[in-house]
Amino acid sequence: MKKKGQGQKGTFGELELPVSRRYLFPASRRPMLLLGALLGGAVLAFLLVDLFAAGGRFVSNGPLSSNHAAFGSDCGNCHFAAGRTVSNDKCSVCHEKFGDRLGVFTFAAHYLYRSDDFRRVVPSDRERPCFACHTEHEGRAAQITRVPDGECLRCHDFGSFNDRHPEFDFVAEALPDDAGLRFPHAHHVREVGKREGLEDVERACLYCHNAEPDGKGFAPLDFDRHCDACHLGATVATPALPIRQDDRLGVETVAAILDRGAPGSRWALFSNPREFRIRGDSLVKGPLHHRDPWIEENLRTLRRRLFTDAGLADLLAASPDAPADDLRRLYEEAVATLEAQVLELRGSPDADVQAELERIESALEGLRRRLDDPYAALDETRFMLALDQRNPELTDEEAAAIDSLAADLTAPCRQCHLVADATIARVQTGQRVLRRAEFDHRAHILQRRCLDCHRRIPIAEGAATAEKLAPEVDSAAIQNLPGIETCRECHTPALASQTCVTCHYFHPNKSHRSELLLYLDRGAG
Amino acid sequence: MPMPTPKSPSLSTLPRINRWLLALVAATVLCLAVFAANNLLGDVRSGNAWGLSYGAAAAILVLISAAYGVRRRTMRLATRLGAGSARVWLPVHTLTGALFLLLVLMHSGFRLPEGWVTWGLWLLSFWTVASGLLGLALQRWIPRRLTSALTMEVHYDRIAELVEETRSRAEAVAGDCGETVRGFYERRLARGFGQPRWRWRFFLDAGGGVQNRLRELDFLARRLAPEERGRLEELRRLRVSKSEIDAHYTLQRALRLWLYLHLPASMVLLALLAVHLFTVFYY
Repeated sequence: MKKKGQGQKGTFGELELPVSRRYLFPASRRPMLLLGALLGGAVLAFLLVDLFAAGGRFVSNGPLSSNHAAFGSDCGNCHFAAGRTVSNDKCSVCHEKFGDRLGVFTFAAHYLYRSDDFRRVVPSDRERPCFACHTEHEGRAAQITRVPDGECLRCHDFGSFNDRHPEFDFVAEALPDDAGLRFPHAHHVREVGKREGLEDVERACLYCHNAEPDGKGFAPLDFDRHCDACHLGATVATPALPIRQDDRLGVETVAAILDRGAPGSRWALFSNPREFRIRGDSLVKGPLHHRDPWIEENLRTLRRRLFTDAGLADLLAASPDAPADDLRRLYEEAVATLEAQVLELRGSPDADVQAELERIESALEGLRRRLDDPYAALDETRFMLALDQRNPELTDEEAAAIDSLAADLTAPCRQCHLVADATIARVQTGQRVLRRAEFDHRAHILQRRCLDCHRRIPIAEGAATAEKLAPEVDSAAIQNLPGIETCRECHTPALASQTCVTCHYFHPNKSHRSELLLYLDRGAG
Repeated sequence: MPMPTPKSPSLSTLPRINRWLLALVAATVLCLAVFAANNLLGDVRSGNAWGLSYGAAAAILVLISAAYGVRRRTMRLATRLGAGSARVWLPVHTLTGALFLLLVLMHSGFRLPEGWVTWGLWLLSFWTVASGLLGLALQRWIPRRLTSALTMEVHYDRIAELVEETRSRAEAVAGDCGETVRGFYERRLARGFGQPRWRWRFFLDAGGGVQNRLRELDFLARRLAPEERGRLEELRRLRVSKSEIDAHYTLQRALRLWLYLHLPASMVLLALLAVHLFTVFYY
């Protein structure tokens, strides 16, 4: 007979509920794991099918930016059918149209940005794929051209704009403005204001600084548009200049120039004899024209006496003092001069001349092609060395006499132009100063007035007085641009954008690319 | 005799849970400081170097966190390998899980995601971490509530058996009672003995409002003969026990059901993470 409670583990609770006699296994969690595995597997299977068979719409990390939205329907448009990363070739199919033959989008080519110096385009071990900087799949509104500073700081150790960005070159190195002109700003602002009845000083600025259509920069300065209204009026004339006779130093008359048959002297046939007043052995030319061909021709003749070999500089209307990146423009001007001279000789009945012209035109065509090749190396010494050495056969007195005559000849010109070595200094008509950065005036003019930033020359104060300011204070050589501190007044983390790409571009700009494509079209390279 | 000087509190004297909490707060502050410094240097996007670094760290953390689940299901192997005790694994699981969510947000630069997969990852990361923290809270709160507010302990897997025992006893007692008590039992009490009942009220009141129902029994007891009153008292005790079993059923079930919110979602999260990593590295 069993005793009470035998075979039982006992009771618990007030009700003496029985304790279980066996070990209780907890309920299995397998259904929960199974549910998780099924859901995870289903999601995985769906996405894999989507990835490999349905275009990968759901697998994508996000929609493409609006720039590339049209390609979003099929991953293979960019990722190839077999997957993998987007190659640079894929990008260049659209962005270059011809494949990246010139490597415009390469890392090395970013030196082209604003330098136009194709010699710096060399292969780089820092080459990076396009997508490294232009991250896609971040939504329709993503701005893939807004490359984060970190990408630039890989090479440029500048930190942020308001921290370690270097001062602008023209401030740090106190570079003058190579305007090539005598131009007191305040005086001109005052005179324009008077003439036009302007009350606002800054309105006068706009009479010469004409905004380009995009509002970013300003159109090049132009005499006819900006200066002609006041300068070189009908009463302006040269002083009495000695006429060249045999060994006597002097200027050539139009008739003498025609007799000499100087190249490029067709203008002489159409010159107005009333503009030349000959009194004995001297001559007065008036009125004068801007780029007066008679003055230019006589100046060229005097220069040839000063320098036995002026080289290609002899084909230029002004001095060859151009920035290194403008060297191509000098060559183009020299070639244009030669082409004009060839055109004049086309009227010659001499068969030998015509045959020779064929040969010259062919040579010029070859030269033009070479100039169109952006990678062609241009020899800057062809312009620069020519004016370095004066004719050793000239005595100091003779050279001084030539200089003096050149000064008299260009006396009306020298009111505005600088003249040296019987050459008029080249005027920098372009108003772009920043070489490595972009500046959008339109974006800033809403926030600030012109003179809030351009304050190195006291224009407003000078315009308010009747006196001309001293040249040390107000001249064209003073770079009237603000330093970086002025920019930092607004471009701080709390106010305006201050990323690298706010001012700097990595790739050469679009207009430059179109020139390169034009070069390809011409079959060069 | 000089009095012993009390020990000043140090890190080693802090309770274990506080040390982990301290570690979590410190890691969070460190991550946010790194992100703030990073933001000063440049924009953080999921695709740039900084964003990818945060993403890689988040992926490592979620894998460490997921290893806790593997460890729980391979106890013998884990013990043989000396993989550490659950006392260490659970805080590590919690810490890495919480930091994972923070790093996911840093990875995206605290911006909303764009794609289907990334949205899924983002939402599931929130859901998994939130459900995990809910589970942690329940695991710390429910056992205390069960032991402090109830008079008996019940093994969850025996609840059905005990309910049946209680019901059969109650019916036996009611069968011995007179017409009045039996009728009252059938009308007012029988339904309550029928099966384990889930009641949200137990989360707020472990008694589940049983005192209100007992007032009816007290009212009835005053009108009964002494022998009937004894039986009614037995029914009363059975009813209180049944209410406690229901409280155990509700609260212990919550401890088990919580995992259904957490575990399947975390498995889907890992699947999506695998797809995300594949697409990022493959493309």
